[in-house]
Amino acid sequence: MVKVEIIEGPLEFYMNGNHRSQDGAELVFNGRVRDTEHGSKITSLEYEQYDGMAKVELLQLAEKTVKKFPINDLFCKHRVGKVDVGDTSLHVVIWSKHRKEGLEAMTWFIAELKKSVPIWKWAILEDGSRIPSECKD
Amino acid sequence: MITVNVKCFSQVKYVLQKDEVVFQLDHGTTTDILEKMIREDAQGKLDDVSLRVAVNQKYVPGKIELQDGDEVAFIPPVQGG
Repeated sequence: MVKVEIIEGPLEFYMNGNHRSQDGAELVFNGRVRDTEHGSKITSLEYEQYDGMAKVELLQLAEKTVKKFPINDLFCKHRVGKVDVGDTSLHVVIWSKHRKEGLEAMTWFIAELKKSVPIWKWAILEDGSRIPSECKD
Repeated sequence: MITVNVKCFSQVKYVLQKDEVVFQLDHGTTTDILEKMIREDAQGKLDDVSLRVAVNQKYVPGKIELQDGDEVAFIPPVQGG
């Protein structure tokens, strides 16, 4: 099963899977906002999405990941709008029978997300100015 | 003539200072011609930016002929995460 959400505003983490007797691995990835952008201090990032297409691409990618790797479930939340330094912008949880396939699936999913899902970052600098982020990592 | 709506994001929005642009184009206009027009509007500021094309919210490979009412986006490198 897959679940994807694009959220404006604070992000709540998915509950742990303590009830899951079939899954030996539960992988959690939280992407957070760093305080620098190409050497300049920032106060936050503003995530811009292509409304509609971003969620469709994210869902298709999640479905592709579950087919490509022997994992059971993949849940993902991505924030849009303003996200302050230190806050979580991306939350992904993967459940799988063994850790190896879960780790591989997580790495692949995030790498592909950064290639295809139409979401962009704008850096909010300390002087309040707003510029497109150049960050690709 | 056909009307297409170009959505602008990230560097394209920053350079053009617009969220969207409406074009009236000749029948038979293809996405590569429209991309050239966008790049010309940007006066060289998008020359080093690779752009993928989406038509009606789907990536399209190569060039395709545009239809009346199409929504087009020239998508700069994405940065989710």
